[in-house]
Order: sequence, then C-alpha cells, then structure tokens
Amino acid sequence: MHPGVTPLVEVDDVHVHFGRSRAVDGASLRMFAGEVLALVGESGSGKTTLIRAIQGLQRTTAGAIRLEGRPMNATTRRAVQTLFSDPAVQMVFQDPTGALNPRQTIYEIVAEGLRIGRHGKDEREKVAEALSRAGLRPPERFLTMYPHEISGGQRQRVVIAGAMVMEPRLLLADEPVASLDASIRGEILALMRRLVDETGLAILVVTHDLGLAWNIADRVAVMYLGRIVETGPTEAILSDPKHPYTRALLSVVPETREMEQQILIGEIPDSARIPGGCRFHPRCPLLQSGTLPPEVAARCPTDDPGPVAGDLAAGAACWAVPPG
Amino acid sequence: MSEPLLSVRDLHITYATHDGSRVPAVRGVSFEIDAGGSMGLAGESGCGKSTLANSLLRLLPVGTEVTGEVVLGGKNVLSLNPGGLRAVRWTSGAIVFQGALHALNPVQAVGRQIAEPMLVHDTASSEQAARRRTVELLGRVGLPGARADSYPHELSGGQRQRVLIAMALACDPLLLIADEPTTALDLMVQAQVLALLDELKQERNLTLLFITHDLSVLTYACQRLAIMYAGRIVEEGPSWEVFGEAAHPYTRGLAAAFPTIGDLSSRMAPAGLAGDPPTPGNLPQGCPFNPRCPLAQDGCRDAEPELRIAGPERRAACILV
Amino acid sequence: MTSLAMARRRATAARVWGQFRRSRQGMIGLGVLAVFALVALAAPLLADVRDLNPVFARAEGNAQWASPFDHPPLGTDYIRRSVWAQFVWGSRVSLFVGLAATVLTVLIGSVIGIVAGYLGGRSDGALMRVTEWFLVIPFLPLAIVLASVLGRSVWIIIFVIGITSWPSTARLVRAQVLTVKQRLFVDRARSLGAKGSHIVAHHVLPNVSGLILANATLAVPISILTETTLSFLGLGDPSSASWGKTLEEAFVNGAMVRNAWWYFIPAGFGILVVVLAFTLIGRTLEEIANPRLSRAR
Repeated sequence: MHPGVTPLVEVDDVHVHFGRSRAVDGASLRMFAGEVLALVGESGSGKTTLIRAIQGLQRTTAGAIRLEGRPMNATTRRAVQTLFSDPAVQMVFQDPTGALNPRQTIYEIVAEGLRIGRHGKDEREKVAEALSRAGLRPPERFLTMYPHEISGGQRQRVVIAGAMVMEPRLLLADEPVASLDASIRGEILALMRRLVDETGLAILVVTHDLGLAWNIADRVAVMYLGRIVETGPTEAILSDPKHPYTRALLSVVPETREMEQQILIGEIPDSARIPGGCRFHPRCPLLQSGTLPPEVAARCPTDDPGPVAGDLAAGAACWAVPPG
Repeated sequence: MSEPLLSVRDLHITYATHDGSRVPAVRGVSFEIDAGGSMGLAGESGCGKSTLANSLLRLLPVGTEVTGEVVLGGKNVLSLNPGGLRAVRWTSGAIVFQGALHALNPVQAVGRQIAEPMLVHDTASSEQAARRRTVELLGRVGLPGARADSYPHELSGGQRQRVLIAMALACDPLLLIADEPTTALDLMVQAQVLALLDELKQERNLTLLFITHDLSVLTYACQRLAIMYAGRIVEEGPSWEVFGEAAHPYTRGLAAAFPTIGDLSSRMAPAGLAGDPPTPGNLPQGCPFNPRCPLAQDGCRDAEPELRIAGPERRAACILV
Repeated sequence: MTSLAMARRRATAARVWGQFRRSRQGMIGLGVLAVFALVALAAPLLADVRDLNPVFARAEGNAQWASPFDHPPLGTDYIRRSVWAQFVWGSRVSLFVGLAATVLTVLIGSVIGIVAGYLGGRSDGALMRVTEWFLVIPFLPLAIVLASVLGRSVWIIIFVIGITSWPSTARLVRAQVLTVKQRLFVDRARSLGAKGSHIVAHHVLPNVSGLILANATLAVPISILTETTLSFLGLGDPSSASWGKTLEEAFVNGAMVRNAWWYFIPAGFGILVVVLAFTLIGRTLEEIANPRLSRAR
C-alpha cells in the first residue's frame, strides 16, 4: 500500500506495566499519513493504556514509540513533560463533557493549546477557523458560550476543534462517539473522515464498535490482553478474519448475521495473570473445537505466538494461521 | 386471542422540576405485549424511554404526574393502593437495571440483595430457603454459588449484570423489564447476557420488555420493536422490518447509525442525522422531528402526526406514510 | 484576557449578583454587613475618639455607670467612658481583625492546599505532616505565650488566629484539588502541552476558588469570635477598644450585677449580628455556586 514511505507513527514492542499488571505487553503498530486505523478491543485489552502512552500521558515500561522518526515515548516523568509540547499529536476524548472545563468559554478552550505553545499570532482567526471546520458555524456564535450551553455533539466538535487548531499530524480518538446519541454519531464520524481527506491527518481510533471501524477505518488492529492479535485492511479483517478472537468478536456483533455466533466463555483474564502460551488459548473456540491438527494444538498452551508485527500485510498472532 | 400481559394505554408522564416548570417526558404512549412475547423500545436521550420503564412499576419520583393505564396481568398498576402495588412489584413485573455500580448496594453482599425480594414478598419460607434459591439463581445466570458472598465492587461489569438478572427473577415474575442492561458492557459480555436473557425467556415463558438506545441489539433480541422520539412512539412493528425497511424517517436515520458490516454502501460513509434530539419541554412545532427530517414538508409544522397503519402489524407517525 | 473574555466575565458577575439579589437571606446579610462596615469606616464622624480616654471622660464630667437615658446614646461605663464610642470604635477592631486574620488563614491555607494537592507524592506527604502539626496547636496557650513574650497587640491576635486556622482551610482546598486533578479536562490540558503552572492557574484555581471564597466567608465570623474570646480573656490590646474587650471589662467590673445592660448588650449584639451576617452571605454564595456548576445538560 505505501511501499518505501516512512511510517508516520511506529509503535515498537511497547510494554506498559503497573506492578504485576501487564496492561500493554508487547504491542506494535505502524500508521501512515492520511489513514484511519481502528484499534479494536474489549475493556481489559489495554487499548486505552496504549493510546495514552502514544499521547504521552502514560509512561512506557519498555519499547519505543516514534513519530516521523522522533522518539515519542517517555520512561521517566521528566521526559513525559518535554514530550507534551509537541503539537503533532492531539487527542479526542470519550467524554466530551468531562473534557471541557466548565469555567472556560469555548474560545478559551479552543485557544488553550495555542496559548500554551505560544503560537499566539492570529489566535482569533485560527480559533474561528477551527470551530468552523469542526462544523460549528458561524463560529462567532459559539465563542463566548460555556460548555453547558451546547449539546453533547457540539461539545465533541469543540474538542475536535481544540485538537485541530494545533495542526496535528496524528489524532488519537478514544471512543469518540460512544457517549453521544446514536443519530448524531454519523456526523462526527463523517467530520473525522473529512479531516483526514482534507489535511492528510492520520487518526488512530480506539473503539469496541466494529460498525464504526467499518464506517471510517482503512485498517483495523485487534487487541487482546495487551497485544495486537490481528491487523490488516478493514474489508479483509471484517469479512474474513483469521484470528479466532476476531472471528468470535465479529460473530457476536448484532449487525452481522451471516456468521454463526461464537459466544466465548468467561471474560478477559486479569492482566496480572496472563495465561501461558498463547494468551487466548483458554477461551479459544478453535482450540476447543478439536479440529486443529495435533501439532498445532499442542503449541497453543505452551508457545507464545509473539506479537503481530503490525505491518501492512495482514497478520494474525495465531499458530493456526499460516504466516504471510 | 388472550388478553395481552402488559397493556399500556395513553400514558402521559409529566415531571415537576425544582423551579416550578413542568416537563412532559411521555406524551401519550400506548402499546401491548402478549404473554411470552418480547418487545424492544428504542430511543435516544430525552425520548422518555427510561421514564416509561420506571413508570410501569410506579418508580418515579413523588410529584410526577402520571395519567393513563398500565394494565399488568389484569390489574391497573397506576390505580393500585400501596398494598396492592407492593404485591405486584417484583412478583408480576421486575426490572433489570443497567449494571453500573449504583444499581447494587455497595455495602451488602450480592447474595443478600438477591434474597431480599424473596424475604420481602414471602416467596421463600425461611432464610435458608432463600439462600438455597439464591445459589440456584446464581447458577442459572452462570455464576458460581460462592459469589453470593461477594460485594458488588468485587465483580466485573458482566458479573454484576448477571446478579441483577438473578435478582429480577427472585420472585418468578411474569414480565421482565430490562432497562439498558447491556449498555456499557463489552461486545462479548453483551452477547453472553443477551444469550442468557433469551434462554431464561424460553425456559420460564417470560415476557420481555427491552429498553435501550442500541437498535441493533433490539432487532436481534426482540420480536417487535417500538421507536420513541420526544415522548411518543413514532414507529412500531416486527423488529427486522422496522430496522431494515423503516417507514419513519427518524427510524431510517437511527438505523443508519448501526451499519451492517459487509454492506459496501456504508463503507466510508458514516450516516446519521443533523441536529440534536429535542429536549422535553422544548419541542418544535408540529412534528417534533421536522427540524431534522430530510423529508420535511410544509404540512409537517402544522400538527403532530398520529400513528398510522404502515403495513401489516406496523404503524408509523408520519404524514408520508 | 481578551475583550470577549472580559465581557463574558462581566456577564457572569452580573448574573451572580442577580441571583444574590434574589436571595432574601443574602441581602439581609449584605445589608447588615454594609451598615457595620459604614459604622466602622465612619467611626471618627460618629463618635469622638477622645471619649475612649478615661482622663478625658472624667474631664468631660461624665457620670459613672450612667444609663442611656442619662447619657445618650448608650450610657457610660465604670470609668465614665462613653459606651457608644466604644461600640463604634470597637467595631473597627473586630472587623479589621476578623478580615485580616481570615486573609492570612486563606492565603496560607490555599497555597499549601493547592501545592500539596497538585504535587502529590512526597511533597504532599511532607506538607500534610506540617499541616497536622499546626492543626494541633491550641490557639489559647499560644496567644498567652506570645502575649507574655511580645506584649499584647492586635497584630499578635491576627497572627495567632491565622497560624492556628490555616490547616483546616489547607485540608479542604487540598481535597478539592485532588478531585479537580482527576478531571478529564486536566488530562486534555496536559495533552496540549500544559505545564503544572498553567494547569494550576487555568484549571485548578478556577474550580477551587468558589470553595475558597465560601470557606473564607465562613472563616471571618470564626476569626471575629476568636478575637472576641482572646480579648475577653485579657489578651487583647489594652490601648485599643474592641467588642471583646468591652465584654471583658463589663464582666470584670460587675456590669451584670449592677444591671448595667447598656454596657454589655451592644457589644454582644454587634458580634452576634456581624457573625450572622457573614454566615448568611456565605450560605448564599454556596447556594449560588452549586446549582450553577451542576447545571449541565
């Protein structure tokens, strides 16, 4: 897809451990400019921790995160502080109401990033343009309002405007529409897609909603218990997933009916007690079905398939899936 | 044809707010569910569905004005005296709430909370009998009996939801009202809970009223579907038909927000509606959906359309039907 | 601040004032306070300061223990001084000490509370241990010790009240800072590159200032009462008049026995009413602050 082009973002074998809890345990990803990557997983998969590490709000225990070749992650608190000033990575939050300081006007909220980084010139124009771009028109109407005077969807647009005003290269969106009414999600998602097409932005969307991935993502990465277990182009992954976990997830999405439901037993294990071998093997329907060749089935409980390299080529961290 | 188990007729619910104004949350809702049937009620914030759910067992705050009829198992819940109401609550109809931590008492073990309705309604002969039944119920919802001694914060979201289901079944109700039971649960856990509800429904011939904003879940879990907007039902009918071939423009817009994976027409084309759902007490003139409706016409601002026949067993409140 | 922001701030202030005006208890409190503030400020116009001097009083030919009917408006005390003069001039000291001590309390308490709450970790631990140390210092023995070492003065009283009251403010502020620190908009500010100073100035302070103001408004009456107590126990400045001192002198010199009600009732009444006024204002401010913050969609 992008041969020879340097990736915009490289996440290389990142680990984030909290004591014995290994929230992110060797995750690797690549992202390129102008694409939307959906990071899909359930709670306990580590997806929120990973995205916070990429933003710089979370220290990494090991591994590297690079933006356009520059190191982005921080292992010490002081290093985290110096990273923050890089406007190239911005974030959109799950709870737009909580993300806005109720005592600041919309103008101040959107201008905040500019003021912190002292990009003060033409502040007013930039703020108005960002609001307008985010769909809040005419922007003058909103400048002196407070967050409680606008709707949930509008608040999320303010968050997006506040991020876009910094002219980022990468936008990290943590469940950007989960707390919004269903009927208005489409507009926000369409806005995000438009921003990508117009500015060459890259967006990493963390979500549990496969329908969202289908709607706007170019590629999908599926996360389970701290690792990426499958990655590839959206159509490929959502029409013919290779990893048994992805297959199971897809089968229980109410919007897909062609597949037979594979409801997994139990819940994602605690990240302090990760199963040995392939971390999915205790719940793996493929393993339980008994249809695997014995030499493959023997490896699952003992050998760790290792993290997916996160390349463009579809990859699945599963012994039953032939590489390549 | 027998009487429906639940029959709601012309229900109007108006809240009294602290500054004296009155907010109409539900403005004339009527529907019926036959015994053993399942009905889904979908809608977004401000549509009145949670208010409606709570009104069925009269759980709304004091001072709320409720008119109309809610006939459950032959009795009008709204006109029962306190004794009669107590007898009906949990034994005829029970609610499964959203499993967030605040639906369970954080300082009481879940077993005691499940047993509580049994002891209150005398459906268990003694504490030991209640305990036995609690363990049985926990097993039925897929939790080990030892969990009866756990506290809510020690359980995961999925486990708490199962506890709430067990609690709702404690007195063997005829009607189960599920109010956003799978919201905030992960995909796989949601599937587990839906499968559980389905099994229980078959086993005990339960009647199910499922309330949520997630339209796709409802089409999967319920036979019939009703869509609420601005305090009224704007469409109802068999779930797959309503979801797949909506008659009301709002339903169409809402359904578009839940794209079918594999359907190329929704690939890179997120669809939704402009504007925001209306706040109760501040409704537009005429049809409350008209400011957002892609098919709005002049006549839409004149009067609010009533539900009209839109097909066999289907109705929709739109002048275009 | 841009002109837009200033316009908005003015509008908010106008709105708060509008709400305050509608509250009966708030307006009563404000009215009473205004009256006493005027009395304190206009003291030289209302009563001759020389009337506080017993030598002058004797020279004027005042009687001892004269009732208000004989010596309007409030009679005289045991050494012929005008009680009215003591009331008027005493209001100055009581109000001044109350306000100054509160300023000291709130300043120290807020700074330490914010620093401890925001920094967290070991700095927080160290500051909290210091706070606890000051918390357990009893104000009365401290006042006695300082007064005997440094002599009695108004500044000693202000200092003592400030030093012993700031810990509770600090803890309250710290708790609020801890809450604000967890809010998502602080994360957002950090992800925009904000350093600690920016976050404290733009996010922590505005969300803590309401609490500090309400706390301060309720701390003033406490300071006034503490000053009254200290003066009543004889630790006040012997050369200046204060309501507490008036009460002490009345008590010590047998005003109760003589039924010289005009001597102790005005001072007591003054304290009661001023404390009540501040309390009413503080409550009204709290009520205004809360619904505004919770009025989200």
